[in-house]
Order: sequence, then C-alpha cells, then structure tokens
Amino acid sequence: MREWPGWSLRGRNEPSLAVSCVLAGALLALPACTAPSSDSVSRGNEIFFNQTFNGNGRTCGTCHPARNNLALDPAFIATLPPTDPLFVAEFNPDLKKNFENPKLMRQFGLILENLDGFDDLENKFVMRGVPHVLAQRTSIDSNQGPRTGWSGDGAPGDGSLRSFATGAVIQHFTRTLNRVPGVDFRLPTEAELDDLEAFMLSLGRQQDLSLPLPLKGIVAQRGQEIFLDNRLGKCNLCHVNAGATANFGGGNIGNANFNTGVANLPDQPADLAKERNPRDDGFGRPGDGTFNTPPLVEAADSGPFFHNNAVETIEAAVAFYNGDAFNKSPSGLVLAKGDPRGIGIRLDATQVVAVAAFLRVLNALENIRQSIELLESGAGKGFAERAEARELLERAVSETQDGIKVLDGGGLHPVAVTHLRKAGALAKKAARSFFRRGTLARQAIDEQRNARAQLTGAP
Amino acid sequence: MLSRYVRMAIMVVALGGALDAYGQEATEMYIPIGQSPGLSGKGSLIGTLESVDPKTKLVMVSSPSGPRAVAIAERTPIWLDRSLQKQSNRSGVFADLQQGRKVEIKLRKGEPKPVAEWIKVEVAGAK
Repeated sequence: MREWPGWSLRGRNEPSLAVSCVLAGALLALPACTAPSSDSVSRGNEIFFNQTFNGNGRTCGTCHPARNNLALDPAFIATLPPTDPLFVAEFNPDLKKNFENPKLMRQFGLILENLDGFDDLENKFVMRGVPHVLAQRTSIDSNQGPRTGWSGDGAPGDGSLRSFATGAVIQHFTRTLNRVPGVDFRLPTEAELDDLEAFMLSLGRQQDLSLPLPLKGIVAQRGQEIFLDNRLGKCNLCHVNAGATANFGGGNIGNANFNTGVANLPDQPADLAKERNPRDDGFGRPGDGTFNTPPLVEAADSGPFFHNNAVETIEAAVAFYNGDAFNKSPSGLVLAKGDPRGIGIRLDATQVVAVAAFLRVLNALENIRQSIELLESGAGKGFAERAEARELLERAVSETQDGIKVLDGGGLHPVAVTHLRKAGALAKKAARSFFRRGTLARQAIDEQRNARAQLTGAP
Repeated sequence: MLSRYVRMAIMVVALGGALDAYGQEATEMYIPIGQSPGLSGKGSLIGTLESVDPKTKLVMVSSPSGPRAVAIAERTPIWLDRSLQKQSNRSGVFADLQQGRKVEIKLRKGEPKPVAEWIKVEVAGAK
C-alpha cells in the first residue's frame, strides 16, 4: 500500500530538512526555513499514504501519488492496475453511480466533487483536476484566511489546510453514498489532522523565490523579463516570484481568488467527451466564478493545467492568457483597465514560448534542488539503513527524470539535460550499490550541480 | 501605473475574494455535532435549543456561557445530524429546530447580531 516511503525518511531526517533550507537559501537567495517537527511529519507521511480511514480503500496518496509529483494525470492513471482504489467506482457497486465519472477520470484525470452540496448527486457536481500539494507553506495563506483546493474553499470546519483532510475523507473515501461517519469511514482524529498538516507543509519549497534569477538561457531570460513586466506579461501581479500570492503595488495580499474565465474556454476536453460536466462556479455556494492561484515553480511537470485540466502543456497554459476567455473575464477586463493601451494580456507566440521556457527552467531548478537534497540524504545513510537510502535515491532518480522531461519538452539546455541523464544513471547505480552508494551519490550530486550551472549563474 | 494597479487590486479582490465562506459547507453537513475540525469548541456555539420563534426566525441556545439568541437566515443551511443512529445526515427545515434538541451553530462573521452561517441539529430517530 505504501506509495513512496522515501517521504517519511525525509521527514524523519532533520539534517535533510536543514540541508534543504541551506541549499534553497544558497541557490535562490532565500531566508532560513522553519522546519516542522520531524516526528509529526513522519507520522503525517504514514497517514497520507497508508491510512484509509476505514473507507473505500483510498488514501490521500491515491490522488496525490508521490511518484507522480503528488498529482494525477491521464498518463499516470494509465499505469495503474484496475484494482487501484482510484478506480473504486468501477468495481464497488455502492459507488458505481454519482461517485466518479470513470471515463473523464481515465481520459482527462478529472475527479468528481459535490462542492455545492450532496442533495442532488445526479446533477450537482463538478469535475476537477488534482493539483499537486507542493509548496503549500507558501501558497495557502491570504489576508482573508487560508485558501485550500481549487476554489479556495476546499476545507470544512475552520477552512484550514489542517481541516482539509476531513472534507476529503467525506467526499472521496466513503464506502457508500450515505457518508455516515463510523460506518462508511471514520473521521481523522485531531492528532492525525495535526500530523497531516505538518506533512503537507513539509512538501516541496518552504519559501518563495526571489526573482529575477541570473538565468543563462536567453529564451528563459527573456521569458523572465516578460513574466516580471507589469505592462507586458503581467504574470508577476498574481504570481509574485512565480509563486501563488498577489501584489498589485500595495503590498502582498497573499493567495487570492480570481475569475479568469477558464470555465468559459471553448472546446474543453471534458465537454468534447460528451459526458455530463456541469459548469464549475468556483468559490462559495452558489459560486462566484473565482478560483485561487496555484504556485508556478512546480507547474511545468505537474500538468494538466487549470481546475478543469483544460490544457496539457505549460505553453498552452501561458497562451490561455492571450485568448478571449481570459481577456473578456472579470480579471482580464480589470487588467485592461489598468493598462494605458487598454490591453489585458497580449503576447506573441515567441513570447508565450519564452515565458513557458522560463517556467520550465524554474521547475528544473526545483527538481535539481530536490534531487540534491535526496542524494545527500541517501548518501548519508549507514549500511544498516540501505533500504531507506535506496528509497531516497530512487526518488532522486524520479526528480531527475522530471527535470529532464521539463527541459527536453521545451527543447531547452541540452547540455544540462546530458548532465542530468548522467546524474540519473549514477543515482540509479547508487540505489543498487552495496559498497559504493556514497561515492556514486556524490558523483550524481556533482552532475546535478553541473546541470544547474548550465541553467543559472547562482552559486 | 502603481495607483492603477492598486485600484485594480481593490477591484479584483472585490470580485474574487471578499466572501467569508472558507469552510466548505458541502462536506460540513456530514460532520457530527462537536467534531468540526478547528471549529467545534473554538469558533462554534454548541448547546440546546431553549426556544424557537418561527415568526422572527430566532432561536435561543443554551450554552456554558449563557443563553444566546441567534437568527436563522433564509439561506442558513439546516442539517439534521443523525450520526448517532448511524444514518446519513440530511438537509432539514426550520421546523426541525425544536426545543430541547442539541445544536451546533457556526456564526457568520461581520454581522452586528448573531446570525447562523449553518446550524446542525441532532435528531433522535429516523426522519
């Protein structure tokens, strides 16, 4: 059942967290991190990936698998066996109707949510993608309280990240549609919620970047300029430092909700499938059409994009902001009002690609940061801890492969890709080696650093 | 340019984030009285219905801190907590708010007088 035990090892390993913070600080000029209690993180990891809460067999990790960047996409779904609890609606007769839409799940990675209530299951539901849960420490807080889930109102109780799991268990873990606590599932305890929160907050970046970075690639460099230009790309207004907070000149307002018109996109994949796909009205009940802002550093390797998985590539996600759906949306119109030329966002194809290249490079740098952290943790394990070391190193391989994919997908930095391929091969060897694990892992770290040196001038 | 964007920020926030509805009501319905995470015992009112006035839509709730009058708005969801009977919780109506029943109320923020954002009422038998 356990998806990827390496997470727990990272959680237990305080030096690893510390290394992460130091590395992040060195690489990206970040302030020091605040490490959560490692025991709580470790327990949270166990709960996240293994605890079914006496429900239908799903865990949090069912939809947020560690080996797929804690997110779901159709390609990953296609690798799962038919007995995977993700497909519970296909083999549990009690959940066959009105629990999931298997066709939309398998084709587009969409999950069914009854965000406007459970009184009319046939008609009142929305289909949403599964976002990654990385960098939540930097992504959830707002001046008006925490914003969780795609529309910022995903948690019951006090609406916090801590409470999110309770809502998820009720929505996704139930054995029947009666949703009776103590019968169809059990609710998480207070202690479990504490641990889950600690674990989720420990995932990925602990701080936002500080842009601009001294990038070496000219296309990514230009993409960064466009991204930061409040008269051209305007990206940094709502994604400050490629994160999930907004600043319009009056100070950072934290995470914010916007109606960007994604729901108005024509030819959405789920609609083309001719399945029932009611309009998603976003925040509140009834909804106001707004959705919250995800962080962008982790975006390039965690598509599809937007709450409805409307587009597959990071280039298409950037291009969305050129279209009518955005420019005629409330947010697009507000941007146009603030623009001397009356333009919301208008980028040419080369500029779209440049912004996407910038986001690809940011993502690859984050992959490298995480890989180095994992390699160092794996190299530091003693002979008796080789199983744990292997798991850490395998996860480093996975991160490295993500970095390769992200750069390759944009035709970016072929020399860096070569270094990453070498790093991945060395990490793979290290994971299998009895006696040369440390040496091989350190060689892999050197290759990671070589790759990073191709992407940025930061030490 | 800066002031344009400050104005814009105000507009966008007004468009997109001014509502106080972060607790997701849909799944809240299935959480038994007293178990709402981060809310029960902290931000909600738990007690017994001392009186119910259908005309004014006011309920009087006894609580450790003394009786409190709370208005039930037209849009306030009323949920029947049947978890003790191992039955599915359901939406209810104002008539389900009967004297002597245990309730949990989340109060709306920013109201001059207490108004229920939602109310859960414990019902003894199948309904």
